[in-house]
Amino acid sequence: MPPPAAAREADHSLDPESGKTVIRKARFASQALFLLLFLWLFLQTESKGADQLGYPVKFFLDADPLLALTAILSSRSFLPSMLLAGAVALATVFLGRFFCGWVCPLGTLHNLAGAAVRKRRRVVPMGSFRLKYLLLVFLLASSAFTLQIAGIFDPLSLLIRSLSLSVYPAFQYGITSFLDALSRWPVPGLAPAADWLLDVLHKSVLSLRQPLFSQGFILGLLFLGILALNWVERRYWCRYLCPLGALLGILSRWSLLSRSVSEGCDSCGACVPGCEGGCSPQSLDKWRKTECYLCGNCDDACPKNAVSFGFGRKAGGSSLDLGRRRVVAAAAAGVAAVPLLRIGPTRAGQADPRLIRPPGSLEEREFLRRCVKCGECMKVCITGGLQPALAETSLEGIWSPVLVPRVGYCEYRCTLCGQVCPTGAIRSLKPQEKTDVKIGLAMIDQGRCLPWSHAVPCIVCEEVCPTPQKAVLLEEVTVKDRDGRPVTVKQPRVDLERCIGCGICENRCPVLGMPAIYVLSVGESRSRDNQLLLP
Amino acid sequence: MNRREFLKTAAVTGATLALPGLLMPDGSMAAAEKPDMIVATGPSPARITRAAVDAFGGMRRFVSRGDVVVIKPNIGWDRTPEYAATTNPEVVGALVRLCFEAGAKKVKVFDHTVSSPRRAYKQSGIADAAGAAGADVSFVEDRKFKEMKIQGETLKSWPLYTEVFEADKIINVPIAKVHGTSILTLGMKNWMGVMGGSRGRIHQRIDPCLVDMARTVRPTLVVLDAVRILVANGPTGGDLSDVRLLNTVVVGQDQVAVDAFGSTLFGLKEDALGCVRLGHQAGLGNMRLSRQKIRRIRA
Repeated sequence: MPPPAAAREADHSLDPESGKTVIRKARFASQALFLLLFLWLFLQTESKGADQLGYPVKFFLDADPLLALTAILSSRSFLPSMLLAGAVALATVFLGRFFCGWVCPLGTLHNLAGAAVRKRRRVVPMGSFRLKYLLLVFLLASSAFTLQIAGIFDPLSLLIRSLSLSVYPAFQYGITSFLDALSRWPVPGLAPAADWLLDVLHKSVLSLRQPLFSQGFILGLLFLGILALNWVERRYWCRYLCPLGALLGILSRWSLLSRSVSEGCDSCGACVPGCEGGCSPQSLDKWRKTECYLCGNCDDACPKNAVSFGFGRKAGGSSLDLGRRRVVAAAAAGVAAVPLLRIGPTRAGQADPRLIRPPGSLEEREFLRRCVKCGECMKVCITGGLQPALAETSLEGIWSPVLVPRVGYCEYRCTLCGQVCPTGAIRSLKPQEKTDVKIGLAMIDQGRCLPWSHAVPCIVCEEVCPTPQKAVLLEEVTVKDRDGRPVTVKQPRVDLERCIGCGICENRCPVLGMPAIYVLSVGESRSRDNQLLLP
Repeated sequence: MNRREFLKTAAVTGATLALPGLLMPDGSMAAAEKPDMIVATGPSPARITRAAVDAFGGMRRFVSRGDVVVIKPNIGWDRTPEYAATTNPEVVGALVRLCFEAGAKKVKVFDHTVSSPRRAYKQSGIADAAGAAGADVSFVEDRKFKEMKIQGETLKSWPLYTEVFEADKIINVPIAKVHGTSILTLGMKNWMGVMGGSRGRIHQRIDPCLVDMARTVRPTLVVLDAVRILVANGPTGGDLSDVRLLNTVVVGQDQVAVDAFGSTLFGLKEDALGCVRLGHQAGLGNMRLSRQKIRRIRA
């Protein structure tokens, strides 16, 4: 054994690229590939005007075992798309946590953020890796009792939500306002160049419409905070917090592909700084297999060449001991969270009138059991009207989608939100199905309406109403202006049966500030009780 | 006129137009005199468009070599062509080709839509048809609206789309539809699609505003698409039983006259629209169809 090891050591010293062995290069390539794929699918989560998006934009969410497992638990139902997540789980059983080291786009972003930090402080207590397992237990317990909050912590849901609602809107705002400012500079040639660049960006990475979301600031701050944790310790999120990592860790306990260390190891500790998962690679009996991302850095770093990866090796190391009391406490907390998050006043009786859910949304309780707050529907919403909820629902529904018609209405023939929903909280509607779905009902505020109260003609709500038989009806009446002269105006009325609550009337109502026509959630097809008319 | 009467007259007009032989006893007069308006009827929207423009003197009469031409269809809504809520894509495509054949350097097609622009452009078929004919089809951008002075009775200034005013030639290609406040939406109403700002307020004094706009944007050519017209639940439509197939396009230069003729397609009098009457009074055009040499052709 010693001669080859010595020979390889000599090789290492000669080769300036010694750190970058095949396995490491392959991992970088895989990480780059999946990050690019993720970002490309993210950019494709946008309407091109056709009825279908044309790309499987929810691919990463479909492949997420944590979202699938918690959704199955909380909704007591199964979606065919979850088979992909099952495949990832099964692959983890055989291959270990390759997902964390080789695939996860958030993990790759952590690598990049970590690379930007020069000095790392190590103040994290040794046992902190257990935190994520306890969070997982918490989430599984709460989802077993029908509460779906795993999406708040799930790395892919978190990443898509943060990018959609915060990072991407800020990026677009920043770049367009910068180039706009440049094009106004009195420097010859600058304006056309800025215009050209803006055009190129619009055709490639920018959205047609500047995305704008409420809570964008707080979501962005949370995301930056999570990235900034790399300053405390590299891949802090992955090591200590990520519940998906914990689930994959448990699945990887008996994986066939594993690291093994030969007797040549003298626990010198050369492998410790490079270890992505922080799994105590220097110690034969304290090594934590469940924390290993198969990054291969220990293999590169080992001066004795004692590390190897392969199938069916005897792995050794310590077993995952979380402590029975901690597990029970986490589970109990998960159970307790169910009522605690639901005791907002919205549960008391009537639905919140502002809680207008996307078309195809399931009945509210069923909806909340499934929605993982990934933000895909908000990203894809063609008018930008879907916004992350805050006060419209109890804490359970935070960041779930709510239509705010003053921001953007529901486009009559668009069905994209249901197409991108990974858990079926919003059903994927056929175009002919969509037009029959009511998400609310428009009401006219006669005291503000121009023809009703101010003898001023206006028919905008009727003009824009998209139902084949207009749901806003006009009645021609003669009213008096301030001098008592007769003026003929057309006063709008809402047909309660025809109105689908799309909100374009509210969106376009020229009565600024508080509109003279507005949509409430009453009458929504999905609810049995939130109805106005006798069925 | 109530809705029932309206539908009836519209249907009758549609039927008579479908038999153009009955309507053009003077079909022979045209060759000698220059017509003021061409009304072309036939099963192919592209062919009647081409025939109408040719009968009007050919596109070379209006578009010169090297011109940048703006073609302004109505792409307002997210509807497919058969619902008659948006200009027929084949009419737009044919006009783009005619412009290029006449030597145009660039043909731009856009509209400030009411529905989401991406869906409206795609579903109307106009983006594909105009794009295939070689036009620059672009979405309207906020930064290209500039506050402009309007020599109007009602409007003094409004944010308008600069590309319209940078063009050498403008062709207005509206579709004929009913509308809640202006009765119909034809050519002059189509200029709302180059307005920015909060244009919903226009409806408070719609007719004088439309005349002010028609005064500001002077089209080289007006091509009224009446291949399909929408006779109820406009301008959005959505119900095929509200659509009448007239297989007609009207080509003219006088915005008032074309709109006056457009009213007759719905069984209304030539002076039924407020904007037509006001435009006539203001000298913007002539709504008296009896004074116009209207040539009807079949293609």
